[in-house]
Amino acid sequence: MAWLIVGLKLRSLSNALRSSRRATISFILSTTLAAVVAAIVFTSLAVLRGHGAAVDEATAIFTAFAFGWLVLPIFAFGLDATLDPATLAPYPLRPRPLATGLLAASATGAWPLANVLGLLGVVIGLARGVPGLLIAPAAVLLQVLFCVTLARFVTTGLAGLLRSRRGKDLAAFLLLPVFACYQVLSQVVPRMAFEGKLRPASFAGLDRWLRWLPPGLAAHAVRDASSGRTGAALLSLLLLAAVTAALGWLWTGILRRALVTVDTTTQSSAVRRGALPFARYGLRGTVAARFWIYQRREPSSLIYWGIVGVVMIAASVSSLLTPSYRGALLSSAGIGAALLAIFHSNSAGMTGPAFVFEAMALTSRRALRCYFSGQNLALSVIAVPLLTAISFGLAAIAGHPAAGFLAVAVDFAGIGASMALSNIFTARLPYPTEKREGSPVRGATEGHAARALGATFGSLLGTAVAVGPVAAAEVLTSTDPAVVRIPVLLVCAAGYGIALAWAGVRIAARVAEPKLPELCQIALHSAA
Amino acid sequence: MGEAAIVVRGLRKTFGAKEAVAGIDLDVAAGSCAGLVGPNGAGKTTSLSMMTGLLRPDAGQVLIGGLDVWSDPRAAKAAIGVVPAGVRLFDRLSGAELLEYAGRLRGLPAAEARARAGQLLGVLDLTADAGRLVADYSTGMRKKAALGCALIHNPPVLFLDEPLEGVDPVSADVIRRLLARLAASGSTVLFSSHVMELVEQVCDHVSIIDKGRIVASGPIQQVRHGKTLQQAFIDLVGARAAGEEELSWLGSSSG
Repeated sequence: MAWLIVGLKLRSLSNALRSSRRATISFILSTTLAAVVAAIVFTSLAVLRGHGAAVDEATAIFTAFAFGWLVLPIFAFGLDATLDPATLAPYPLRPRPLATGLLAASATGAWPLANVLGLLGVVIGLARGVPGLLIAPAAVLLQVLFCVTLARFVTTGLAGLLRSRRGKDLAAFLLLPVFACYQVLSQVVPRMAFEGKLRPASFAGLDRWLRWLPPGLAAHAVRDASSGRTGAALLSLLLLAAVTAALGWLWTGILRRALVTVDTTTQSSAVRRGALPFARYGLRGTVAARFWIYQRREPSSLIYWGIVGVVMIAASVSSLLTPSYRGALLSSAGIGAALLAIFHSNSAGMTGPAFVFEAMALTSRRALRCYFSGQNLALSVIAVPLLTAISFGLAAIAGHPAAGFLAVAVDFAGIGASMALSNIFTARLPYPTEKREGSPVRGATEGHAARALGATFGSLLGTAVAVGPVAAAEVLTSTDPAVVRIPVLLVCAAGYGIALAWAGVRIAARVAEPKLPELCQIALHSAA
Repeated sequence: MGEAAIVVRGLRKTFGAKEAVAGIDLDVAAGSCAGLVGPNGAGKTTSLSMMTGLLRPDAGQVLIGGLDVWSDPRAAKAAIGVVPAGVRLFDRLSGAELLEYAGRLRGLPAAEARARAGQLLGVLDLTADAGRLVADYSTGMRKKAALGCALIHNPPVLFLDEPLEGVDPVSADVIRRLLARLAASGSTVLFSSHVMELVEQVCDHVSIIDKGRIVASGPIQQVRHGKTLQQAFIDLVGARAAGEEELSWLGSSSG
């Protein structure tokens, strides 16, 4: 049974690999990334040798891996057919051999191997003497077995939820904290380490409570064995094995039930009853109402807004307490607006086949203007307060709240530019999209990456150029009294942004009118 | 035949080397209900997409109530309701919001759109689910919601692509009754379907399309030639099964 399920996983991987060039590239990138992560983790653990806080850092790394195994399979739920017990429920399988097979399948692949190889860095970094060298590999293998069992326990336990629309929404929202962690690790940590604010000694005492979690038991077993406390080390490993066995027993029980339990994916809840908003404003208000509701109910919309906030903060936070805080505030505002343009630069393709529903009513250039301006109004209702609040928040952190007004002027111009650019790219450079398993947001379908890249870089460049005059005006008037300068800048930037958005709507409507059937075909070829 | 509500002349579409629609002519009289039947890949969806302004034809003309779909799309689209194949709706709206949205998109005042949405939801047996997100609807409920959206502006001509595909018998009966009522009230309905029983029950005219060409068209009795529509259809397009002798092991009497 184990070989059969491992074979199923290997076959699905090889079929996915052959299915398209994109899949091949993704596989190569993922395998390369796994090798890089293994090398980095191995090196990070190996260089701990002799550090006072070595066991604290090792515990933190072991715990981080366990957290990864806890969260990432939730994203991969639709990608790995062996994660969902419903795919195996029709077959007459006994739970125990099935569980063994599923565990073996989980341990198959580049990432589990990278996990083992990376953590083996403790053999150099933490282990001393024969007992340490013997205990370290056993601790790593037990830690990985615990992680694999934990991942299975969580995905099987949540399978019903993850299969449902609401569960998929929840899984999508998990992307935001993961993205925020990535931003902290890639932007904030390297800068803090470079500035000497983060050193190995900073981790001292971290394992005061982490050591009692299963990953901490593994790391401390290596340290105990290396310092002559072999009995304590063996006891830690025994405890880890017992926790893993208990988790495995619980998981097998859940699996047994999942194989004979009715699927409940059609359960749903009602939304608050009420009329659509903006009823007084004709077609523009109608379109704005739909976009407004979607900004609240569509997980990808909420994720996009979250990403705008996280990137604005991450891009500037490390420079806020330096003399270059002004530049950081302005660039943060510009980046936020550019992201807004990128995320909405393919409205028909991103809406998917449902766009046809609207297209049947978009029968004139005037109607198309209403469509684009309605979309812009709904987005502005969120963008203006969000970007303004973040800019003022960052200025407050910098200790110069008044500088927030300057960033807000860039926000106003940038939001107008982003609306104009997103409308024009929607009409000029549309492309079909698809939602791939494991990703909560839509991406370009194969063969259309060039258009997506064109829209992305066009949006970035276009926003940068468009906010340039506002940034230049701020520099040129820097010696003028703030009481005059700031209101004038804000009013002019807002007027400039509105003019850009107005022009964008008119250009986009003129471009889209003769190619509405082609826009419909792009929407229809976008997988729902 | 009375005055034609739908006139199609020489409609043609090619995708690369494949000729999906090879120049079809079709007339559907005002107030009639016509079915467009054909095997998979025959060109039904492509034809309906071109007739409703969603796919630009390579050649040919489509008139809806005398309005050219491709030279006057604004007026032509205002006169039609469409339920496209593989219904995709705004699934983050509730059923009630979706129908109201459809009505307002079609220019109805908000109060009127809301009132009609409520009435249509009632007829379509969706009142109890009006507050649920469309994302949580079953296939049958989605089809019914899409039909409601297509009808809310009371179009004189209705196009439906596979209205009963993937629909349970109860929802199918609701759709069937609504189509029959529309046809009886003088609206013009053209729909594609694999369900011959539905076509026989509801339609007065049928056109059979195969390999992008209309191979038979006319009043349903004339096309049937005294047979069932299913048999007439099989006779015209040919039965397509092969290799069954290789399945000699299949069945409880086999070893």
